[in-house]
Amino acid sequence: MTIATGARQLRAWCALVFMAAASACAAQSLIGKRLEILQDSITAELMGLSEVVQRDAWTPSEEMVPSLGLSDDISWVRLKLDSRGENGLLIEIQNAGIDELTGYMMCDGKVVATYNRGVLQDGSHDGAFGAYPTFPIPLVECEELHAVFRLKSSKPLLLPMRIAGPREVLNDAHKRDILFAAYFGVILVMLLYNLFLFFSVGDRSYLEYSLFIFMIGGTQLVLNGYAPYFNVESWPWLNERITHVFGVFSGLTTIVFAQNFLRMSRYVPWLHKLLNGYFVIYLLALVLTILGQLIWAYNVINFCAAAIFFFIPGAIITMRKGYSPAKYFLLAFSIFIVAVVVFVMKDAGVIPYNAWTFFALPLGSAIEMVLLSLALASRINQLKKESAHAREEQLRISQINERMVREQNTKLEERVRDRTADLEEVNANMRTTLEELQSAQQQLVQSEKLASIGQLTAGIAHELNNPINFVSSSAQSLRRDFEDLNAIIDLIKAIDPSAINLNEQVSSVKDKLSQLDIEFTQKEIEELLNGIEDGTVRTSEIVKGLRIFSRMDGDNFIQAQLNELIESTLIVLRSNFKDAAVLQLNLGEEMPPVMCQPGRLNQVFMNIIINAIQAMDELGRDVEENILSIETERIDSDGEAWAQVRIKDVGPGMSEAVKSQIFDPFFTTKPVGEGTGLGLSIVMGILRDHNAEVEVESEEGLGTEFIIRFPL
Amino acid sequence: MINVLYLDDEAHNLTAFRAAFRRDFQVHVTTEPTDAVRILREHPIEVIISDQKMPKLSGVEFFELIAPDYPDPVRMLLTGHADIDAVIDAINKGQIYKYISKPWNESELRDLVNEASHLYHERQAIVLRGEDLQERMSKAEREAVKIQSLTSGKGALTADETARIFDLANTIQLLLQA
Repeated sequence: MTIATGARQLRAWCALVFMAAASACAAQSLIGKRLEILQDSITAELMGLSEVVQRDAWTPSEEMVPSLGLSDDISWVRLKLDSRGENGLLIEIQNAGIDELTGYMMCDGKVVATYNRGVLQDGSHDGAFGAYPTFPIPLVECEELHAVFRLKSSKPLLLPMRIAGPREVLNDAHKRDILFAAYFGVILVMLLYNLFLFFSVGDRSYLEYSLFIFMIGGTQLVLNGYAPYFNVESWPWLNERITHVFGVFSGLTTIVFAQNFLRMSRYVPWLHKLLNGYFVIYLLALVLTILGQLIWAYNVINFCAAAIFFFIPGAIITMRKGYSPAKYFLLAFSIFIVAVVVFVMKDAGVIPYNAWTFFALPLGSAIEMVLLSLALASRINQLKKESAHAREEQLRISQINERMVREQNTKLEERVRDRTADLEEVNANMRTTLEELQSAQQQLVQSEKLASIGQLTAGIAHELNNPINFVSSSAQSLRRDFEDLNAIIDLIKAIDPSAINLNEQVSSVKDKLSQLDIEFTQKEIEELLNGIEDGTVRTSEIVKGLRIFSRMDGDNFIQAQLNELIESTLIVLRSNFKDAAVLQLNLGEEMPPVMCQPGRLNQVFMNIIINAIQAMDELGRDVEENILSIETERIDSDGEAWAQVRIKDVGPGMSEAVKSQIFDPFFTTKPVGEGTGLGLSIVMGILRDHNAEVEVESEEGLGTEFIIRFPL
Repeated sequence: MINVLYLDDEAHNLTAFRAAFRRDFQVHVTTEPTDAVRILREHPIEVIISDQKMPKLSGVEFFELIAPDYPDPVRMLLTGHADIDAVIDAINKGQIYKYISKPWNESELRDLVNEASHLYHERQAIVLRGEDLQERMSKAEREAVKIQSLTSGKGALTADETARIFDLANTIQLLLQA
């Protein structure tokens, strides 16, 4: 079944309902103005029937449909009957929602019949003529015949009453039943149809719509007295509250449906929020209902019902924003609101009480349902159209995009070519600059190297000068001493033991010995030889140190002993610290060899040691106070092994600011022209190549310590 | 024999120096500056040679130290370190006669010591002559005073007196010429 054929069928149903309503449209004669009413909140509650009847506080009703309002109190209504003409007829109260309704037929002050017809009263439906409570006028002869009604309800007490023959009442009931059956048929069909759509299409708004019409239909069912057909009396608790429960849920579902149908969160957010507020109030009504505060609950529900008036501006705004299904919605709710207004005005006596006005509410509601169903179909169509349109639009846009991208690509390729050419030029320039910078840097590093070599050679020259001086001088002196010795040996060799003047010869040797002070000469030879030996040892040590220090394989990584490197550095630096500082050397035993570039490491140690010595020397203290301490040690921590070198001075130390910059290239604390500022920066570079960790601890006035750790 | 004092912290240098020059000079050697001062006090040292680079004080500093008490000995600075600052200091502060670099050349050093000794003695001679002159000047002054006392209060000089005055004038002239 398509949506269109469904809509056609619904229209046929509608036509049927209209015809039925028209046929039921006979004018009815209501007897509201014949009634007398007693509403004395204090006394009426406590008094019995006999007392009530005798009171003179009865007031005649002035309305066709008397309205006794909404209250907990008991109300009394009295009707004087025509004892001749009205016997055998029925009094009908066209309100099926009165909780407690007892009718007393009084013949000359005596009760001849009592009927309980309230919905909460047992057996209220026994002998009923249709859904409305009826009271047969007894066939008795009396001077005065009265009907007195005792009423109590948690809903508004409206009393449209008439007196009619049983056949007429039954006929009207039948007609009403048919009309309501038609109405409920419409509701049921719509309910099932939309549920079906929900399960097949999966759009949530169908489910919401189904719930909405279920609740609306249920409300009409209850209001028009059809609840007993569903045996609601079996659950007294629910029976008492059923009108309120349906009131709350029909309100809630209406709001949910309206919110989602009109896409309020998107088109009218403020209204969406406002209606959410109504949710809370409805829930309050539900709580009041459950707690049994039914009068209050009814008031709250009535207040909330006004929410539907907001639907009109909401639908108009949504429609203005181009959402066409809102048209149907607007029409549906406008008709419903008109129906509600007609219903209310009928009760207020503004417009006549007839079948049309009586049926305004279910009729309006039915039309509303149908229109909303159409609206829903339109909405689905709209959504489909929108998505199809969106797809088309997307396709168009993607085509345009593609064309633009193609054009852009061509342009881009040209620009890329241009840019590439530019970049290549820039690149070439940068490469030249880089090369220049690199060569400048190399020159600087070279000059730093040359400076340290200069310093070294001066120191070493001095170191070598002393031994060379005394070795060469001693050699000459030795020669002279040996000449003296030779002179004596010659004398001794010339001695002729067989000669007579042996004694003379011996004494001349002795003379020579004392003349040359040969004992002193012997001692001197000893000392000179010692000096020569010591000198050769020292020079060879220096040469060995130099060899280790300036290894030509300096740029290759080899296994080397740190201790050996430090010792060789100290040898070549001896002249630097000999007269400036006292050395405390504490080299760790069993130091494992370190993979390193020995030549470059020597440069590191030399730089740091020279800095330390110079720093201490500047203070101008006694040499004994300038302690340079060098320690090596193997460290094992966290499963990692390190070879650690600590070089510590007791110089002036550094401020934090200086300390943070010492490894920066060109940073120097020396006057301009002295030092390139590259020493420690080169040191850092070398240590980085060795993956070494460097720590500098320094405090002004106390000294500086370099701690270097080489991974093993 | 010339008295030479040599101060150096390197003991082997001392041994080598003494062995080289003990036949030519009276050699005094020590590694300690305090000991050097004692030697200066006890011996008529003519030439002092000191190493520049020593741990406790430098050669220049040593010369500065002894200058007030021993101005006469001729000083020579010995160093292996071509340190221009040391040379400038040596000349400006230490009244140093010669600067010798290590390793020394024995015969050159010997000549230098001899020259220095010669200079020392020349200076001594000048000093002695100065003293002599001073003495003779005061003698002449005394004579002049005598002549003044003779001439004052007298009308004319005797022939003998005139002869003596001429004699004195000649003597003074001679003295002044010297």
